[in-house]
Parts: sequence; C-alpha cells; structure tokens
Amino acid sequence: MNAPIIDPLQGDFPEVIEEYLEHGVMKCIAFNRRGTLLAAGCSDGNCVIWDFETRGIAKELRDKECNAAITSVCWSKFGHRILVSAADKSLTLWDVVSGERITRTTLQQTPLQARLHPGSSTPSLCLACPLSSAPMIVDLTTGSTTVLPVSVPDAGNGLVPASRNKFSDGTPPFTPTAACFNKYGDLVYVGNSKGEILIIDYKTILVHAMVPVTGGAVIKNIVFSRNGQYLLTNSNDRTLRIYENLLPLKDGRKALDDLEETHKELNGVEKLKAVGSKCLTLFRDFQDSVTKVHWKAPCFSGDGEWVVGGCASKGEHKIYIWDRAGHLVKILEGPKEALIDLAWHPVHPIVVSVSLTGLVYIWAKDYTENWSAFAPDFKELEENEEYVEREDEFDLVPETEKVKESDVNEDDEVDIVTLEKDSAFSDSDMSQDELCFLPAIPSPDVPEQQDKGVESSSKLVDSNHSGSPLSEEAGPNGRATNHASSPLEDDAGGSRMKRKRKPSEKILELQAEKVKKPLKPSGRLSKVKNKSVADLDNGNGFLGDDVSD
Amino acid sequence: MATETEPEPTESFKPYTLSKTLTPHKRAISAVKFSSDGRLLASSSADKTLRISVVKSSSDSPAPTVSLLQELEGHEQGVSDLAFSSDSKYLVSASDDKTLRLWDIETGSLIKTLSGHTNYAFCVNFNPQSNMIVSGSFDETVRIWDVKSAKCLKVLPAHSDPVTAVDFNRDGSLIVSSSYDGLCRIWDAATGHCMKTLIDDENPPVSYVKFSPNAKFLLVGTLDNTLRLWNYATGKFLKTYTGHVNSKYCLSSTFSVTNGKYIVSGSEDNCLYLWELQSRKIVQKLEGHTDTVISVSCHPTENMIASGALGNDKTVRIWTQEKD
Repeated sequence: MNAPIIDPLQGDFPEVIEEYLEHGVMKCIAFNRRGTLLAAGCSDGNCVIWDFETRGIAKELRDKECNAAITSVCWSKFGHRILVSAADKSLTLWDVVSGERITRTTLQQTPLQARLHPGSSTPSLCLACPLSSAPMIVDLTTGSTTVLPVSVPDAGNGLVPASRNKFSDGTPPFTPTAACFNKYGDLVYVGNSKGEILIIDYKTILVHAMVPVTGGAVIKNIVFSRNGQYLLTNSNDRTLRIYENLLPLKDGRKALDDLEETHKELNGVEKLKAVGSKCLTLFRDFQDSVTKVHWKAPCFSGDGEWVVGGCASKGEHKIYIWDRAGHLVKILEGPKEALIDLAWHPVHPIVVSVSLTGLVYIWAKDYTENWSAFAPDFKELEENEEYVEREDEFDLVPETEKVKESDVNEDDEVDIVTLEKDSAFSDSDMSQDELCFLPAIPSPDVPEQQDKGVESSSKLVDSNHSGSPLSEEAGPNGRATNHASSPLEDDAGGSRMKRKRKPSEKILELQAEKVKKPLKPSGRLSKVKNKSVADLDNGNGFLGDDVSD
Repeated sequence: MATETEPEPTESFKPYTLSKTLTPHKRAISAVKFSSDGRLLASSSADKTLRISVVKSSSDSPAPTVSLLQELEGHEQGVSDLAFSSDSKYLVSASDDKTLRLWDIETGSLIKTLSGHTNYAFCVNFNPQSNMIVSGSFDETVRIWDVKSAKCLKVLPAHSDPVTAVDFNRDGSLIVSSSYDGLCRIWDAATGHCMKTLIDDENPPVSYVKFSPNAKFLLVGTLDNTLRLWNYATGKFLKTYTGHVNSKYCLSSTFSVTNGKYIVSGSEDNCLYLWELQSRKIVQKLEGHTDTVISVSCHPTENMIASGALGNDKTVRIWTQEKD
C-alpha cells in the first residue's frame, strides 16, 4: 500500500454499490485496523469474519451458549481479539486465530455497544454501554464492572461516587449513554443525556472535564477519528458535531492533570467546564436542515477527512458524506431496506453498510478505465483538440543512426532491499505482530466436481433473490469478476466521475440522473426506469436479471 | 550502454560450486523453487509431475542433504510453473492442460483444481498473505483466484500475446505481468485495474518479470539477451545486465541477497550467470548443465542456488559457496 503509483488515501469517497455480502442476518460490522478483515455479528449469535480482499468468509466464531443477536463487534488493536456483545446480556472475548472463546461475562443488562481498550494487543478491559444504564468498564478476566459517572452534580467538587443503576441526581435511568475511549485508551469520553461530554479517568472514576454541547440534546453516539484528533457526536437534535481534540494523544491524562492545576482556583462545575474548554473545541456541525433526519452510526473516514452518517428514516438506506469543512459532498442511496450500521474502510475509499435484511453492502468508487495506464504514450483528452501540423511533419528525412542513448547513469547505486515505511499508519509499530490475514485453508475438491473458473463467487449476485429492488448502483454486481467483457459496465455512471466520459448509451444518462436526485425513494424510480432500461439494454442492473457476462 | 563481459569476480565474492545433482524427472524441467522458509525445494517438469524435496544444509560439508518428500501427479499435460504458499503448506502448479492445481504438501494430495483458462496456463504465484493466486496464460489473460474457494475472482485483459510471468509485490497490493507483446503491466490486486504499463523504445518480447525484495524495482528479462532493472514508478530502467543468451525460452532470474547483492539467471548456453547488482559485472559463470538452464532459485537464507535445465539435461543442480 505504500507503492508510489497507488495512492491509498486519495481523498475520495465511494459512489456505487460494488457488491454485497450475505451470510445469515448480519447486524453490526467492524473492520480490523488495516481493513483486511471485516467482522460481522449475526442475529443468531455467531460472528463471521470476512476476508475483505477476496470477499469470502475467513472464519466463523460460533458459540453454542449464545443464541441471541449480536449487538456490537469490536477488534483489539492489532486484530488478535474480538469482543462481541449480545442481546442475552453477555460479552464474549474471542481469540481470532484459533477461533476459541477466551472468556464470557454476563452483565446485568444488554450492552448495546462494547469497546475493547485500544491501548494493548491483548486487552482485558472493555467499555460497555448497556441498554438502560450508565456505561461501565468491565474487566473481562474477573468479570467485575465499574460503573462510570454520567453526570456532574450541580453542587459538589466533581467527585461522584460510583452509582449502581441510577444517576446520582435522580434522572430516570432509561436513556442509553454513549461512551468511547480516546485513541490510546487512557481516558473515556462519555456523552450523556443532558448533552454534555464528560472526560473521565476510568481508573479513578473521576470526571476531569466537562464540555456542554450546544442545545443540550441527548447524545446518542460519540466516536473518535482513527488518528484521535477529532471527536464526533450525534445528538437527538439531529445534528452531528465535530470537536477538535486539544489534548495530546499520548499523554492525555497527564495534560489533563496539568490543566486542572492551572484552574485549581475554580471549583466544581466551573472547574470542569474550564478544563473541558481546553480539551475540546467545536469544529463543525452537520445537519440536514431540509429533512431533519436522525443520524445513525456516524463515523469518520480512515484519514479523518470525510464524515459519513447513515439515515434510516422511512426505511431508507441513505448515506450522507461530508468533508470535514462541512460541505455535503454526496448522498448515497441504497435499496429500500433500512440501514442499521455503517463503517468506513480504514484505508480505501470504501464504505460498508448493513441493512435491516442482514445484507452487507460494499460501496466503492465507480471506476472508469484509465486508458493511459495501458498505453503510456497516449494522453487522454477531455474533448477534441485541433492539431496543426508542423511544416516538416511529413518530410522524408533519412533517419540518422539511432544511438541508443540512455540518459540514465547506470552506475548509480540501487537499493533493492530497504523497505519504505507505511505512511498510512502513523503508529505502525513493526515490533507488534499484527494480524492482517487469517490463513486461507482451501477446502478440498469433491473429486468429480470441477469449479467453473469464471463463475462469480456465491456472494455476488443472485439478483433474483429476496425481491429487494436493487437500484441501478447495484447493477454492476458482477462487475468485480468481469473486467474482460462489458466495457459498458465500466462506463456506468461515468458522467458522475471526475474523468468525464460521455456515456454512449442513453440508459447511462438516465442512471446518472437518477442518482443525482437522492430524495426520491429509489425503489419506485428504479421500477419505472427499469422498464425503459429493459428496452435498451437488458444487461444492466435490471431487476431479477442475472449477472451480465 | 554495454556492460563489461569479462568474468572478473570482485574481491569479496566467493565462487559457487556444484554441490549436488538430482535427476528427479524424465523430461525437461520447467521450474525450480525454494519455499520461503528454505526447507523445501520443488521442481516441475514436462513429464506432468512435480517433485518436492527436503533440503537440509549440513554443518560439515557445503553440500546439503536432499531427500524426496513428495511426488505430485495429476496433471494431464506438462507443468510449466509452480509456487509455494508463504506458510509452505500448499503448492500451486500451472500446466498445459489449462488448469492450475493446488496441492497439500504434507499429504501430497491434490486439494483443488482451478479451471478457467482457455489455453496453456504458463505462470503462477501466491500473494504474500496466500489467500489469492495469480496466474498468467497463453490465452493472454491474467486471472486472480481465491485460495479458499478456488473461485476465479478476476480476469484481467492483460495482454495481446501469451503472458509469460506474473508476480505479487511484498504486501500483495500490486501484480506485475509480462508478455510476448513486449509490455509489462502493473495491476492493482484489490480492484484489478491497470496502474501502469512499462514500455521502452523497442519492445522485445518479455520473458520474465519479478519484483525486487522491497518491491520498488522490477527485474525484467527480454528475449534480446538482456535483463533490466526498472523503477516502475518512474518508468525508467536503471540497470542492464548482458552477457548471457536468452532469445528463445522464458528463463527465470532472481535476486541473491544473502551474501552481497547479485542477479542470477539461467542462459541458453547451458550456464548460470551471476552479475553484481550495482556494477553489472559478471562475477561468475556456472557451468555443468548440458542444456538450457531454464529456471533458477535462491535459498532465502543460505548461499545456495538451485537450477533446472531442459530436455537434454533433465537435472536439478544445487550450487553452494565454499564454507570457510
């Protein structure tokens, strides 16, 4: 990925559904650190690990004791462990390579979200946000839980005794509170129901700082960007807010102490607010002021340049993409199945979304063939250019002996052994053994069977399955295996791309137009369009049609 | 720029000598390869079989002990190429019967047959993660296969002539392919899109291509008796190695980095050539084979080279440096 001719973080964003993955009914997803493996929790209690490169299943983590739906999946930092929380109030820690369960803890309530401590490769602590009480730190080896404070009392010195299930100020305990670790796991950021972000040291259970969110609406999600520099909150007032993290990444705890020192003349809430203002500053907020949608599963892109939020209102499957400056750059519209989870690939411009039906859709950039990669002497033109010949262009001149002059100094030293550092991962610590791939164990052939090579993998298509009207973006489902044929498909949606190509077929224009009107429900439109599509070309994204070969 | 062809070894270079000669096959050898842990040596042949041997270097004599581990039979026609998986558990072979076959080394059994090519499968390689296989064929395409399911993931419309070599780079993100049409093309392994084409003023058929250990350079062999080291990012070649004969067959060549940096290649004049990487001088010419040396492979950690030759010779020879 550090090859100079591929830029892994092009700053681009996905545009069309490239493929979908199907295995049972999947509920939640998480990428490992490098995006090579995708873990998905299913409704039957199993966790499936997909090899994202081959789009095949690499491993299945099955637990006989757990049959309840999985509510969240989380990888450990270097991919050796997975923490799974399920609807039967349990937290299960798995070892990925062996597929063995390490430990299982049962809580008092179903955890909606569970996050492993991001600081170590074999974490034993995790942060669990239960359905209806305060977030807690769970020690997976002992099973002990430490409930975190979720509010700051109006009077007092910021010390909140560990409460059991009620907030100390008596507010009804039924609102789920969101919480997350910071990048190295030394602090926990909690977003509570009063619209405040609390920065807590979980070892001492002390609130060290408080940042009130404008509007004071209940905070539903709180998440850091991968580089730990930005914090995203999703509030009940249908607004996403980005805060810049002013604390240093590695010694956040110590910096917090220093800040407290400088404000020691203040007390209680005042002090917390003052310290808080030095920890986070509001950077941007996003909302859809037209439709005022509630956002689901917002997160950052791998490089923190883009923010993505899902919208599931009215059973839609929409993904909004903003750049960090606040401009809405794209609305992706999927099939008419409500979106329940979303994740951006850590490195590539790929977004993965889970729909209510349990399918995982992979959104990627729409690719138009770069013809000058095939013939480097040619330069691609956007439009016709007038060419005026030189006076002597066609003169016949006896060619002088062509001396093969290489202007390369062949005596220069060439280094074939030193590796370049991978720039995409700033703390890529080679001393830690990172799990990037699970060994692929080929399943033996049954003797008479001959696998047909060109058949697309079972994950792709069967567009005659389950009647969900896949919109035209889903059309190029078979595209992944069929580069040799159908240049037509590669041009699909070409007019949306930077490298503009006038689509040669009228249907492509229709498709492109359709995508530009995101607010119309796609299901209806695609049915209408498909009739005309069928007339012109029945190979492209037609409902119920097979993979076009 | 012509390079000097006098075989002048530099001072620190210890010459290789023949340590062992094996005759594992009944017909011409097509490929020899060491596994990435250096424990195994495999050879493929036109006699439709593959042989895997365990190679152990002994401390007293420079000659390693070689014992046969497996004989793999099953292909219906001659085998052109083979590759080990990174964990040395599996072997994939490409054959004129248009299939690739995946073998389990421990048991010697055929695990999977990958069909799809419409003409001879000519070259094959695993990616470093060993979850994908790339293959090139006389049907002018490059195919990427999923190891687990043996399904063909992508078909790349790579060239307009038979594809002679395919290789993955160090992290498995790029694939390079070469062909008789004179081009080397670099592909993005994840998407199958062409990233670059390497082209020069003249386009002699390219017989072999391989990434350097740090994946920044390409070693390209062409059928005009030349080997070149290209920097594919800039599209310019940096070094040229000549002195050997290569105008008919797809000889393989490789880097030797265990004891100084050298380029090793076979030749149609029945010898192996070693050039110093930087100075491009021929440091040694290994004689002994009685036919074209079609394939060479360097041991990953020891100073050992294995070579295989065509029909008149049919031997696999192991060359080592004298120990102090």
